[in-house]
Amino acid sequence: MTWFTEANTQQDIIDRAPTLAPTFKAFYDSFWQLSSVPPSLLELCRLRVAQLHQSDYQWQHQQIELNTEKRQSLSQWSKSAVYTDAEKACLVFTEVYCIDPQAITDAHAGAVKSELGDAGLVALIEALGLFYGMTRVSQLWGF
Amino acid sequence: MSNQPRVSANLSKTGNVVRDSALGLVTETVDPYLRFNHAIWHNGPLTAAEVELARLRNARKVNCVFCKAVRYDIAIEAGLDEAKVEQITDDFDQSELSQREKLILAYTDYYLQQPTAMTTEFKQRLTEEFSAAEIVHLSLAIMLCNCFSRCAVSLGGMPKDDLPLMQISVPE
Repeated sequence: MTWFTEANTQQDIIDRAPTLAPTFKAFYDSFWQLSSVPPSLLELCRLRVAQLHQSDYQWQHQQIELNTEKRQSLSQWSKSAVYTDAEKACLVFTEVYCIDPQAITDAHAGAVKSELGDAGLVALIEALGLFYGMTRVSQLWGF
Repeated sequence: MSNQPRVSANLSKTGNVVRDSALGLVTETVDPYLRFNHAIWHNGPLTAAEVELARLRNARKVNCVFCKAVRYDIAIEAGLDEAKVEQITDDFDQSELSQREKLILAYTDYYLQQPTAMTTEFKQRLTEEFSAAEIVHLSLAIMLCNCFSRCAVSLGGMPKDDLPLMQISVPE
């Protein structure tokens, strides 16, 4: 239950706007079917956004099942050998994106592009916007 | 910030500003995005003028030059004129905007700056003014506008100087 409705989850609250909820859900779900970015990589980035926002609600949410070690080591990803080059490029990008997108350099973007291609970079940026937004909205709503 | 675009869309020109942009490279998301964007502007309980207030507040805070220059015709038709737009500054609380409009801007600022910091008093004022569906609409609208203004910044190629105002329709 949050401060403006008795609904208990973020999705249940979104459903309180029935003229918007189906199109939002379809948009959100489309990111988990990308050909250019594997869902496990997106989930790592989503969880890193949650960590950076200190959002336990988003951290506890499991969009897809991840390798346990990768989930548990995420706050120390830069010192860990369990992450692939593609995952590391995307996690660097995620961190800079969350701090300030104006601070993203061509090198950050180039590292992602070399792993995922142009479409993958665009998809990652869009997905980060949604993860960032879902996290912030859940915090506004008291989760 | 890079002045050069980081991806080249290299798509066939359809005449649709979204499909012909870098967003068109992500074929799985472009149609769902357009449908959600349409719903935000046409199907929610808030007016297009109210959504535009939040969009422009976000645009100025994120410093998306493209977003700042755009005016959606649907919002102008719903009553948002430049006299109001000029009041979307950091001093909006002292402006002649209505209390409802000021609440929209303040809620947008909480999203942008410190989403965990809303006071009980502010939440009370929101629930007295807005229905639950309206609060959800405003939240999703801010999320969408912020997502794509940050996307535009992240993709590079942002002009350094402000652009002339461009009145356009919501992309379909």
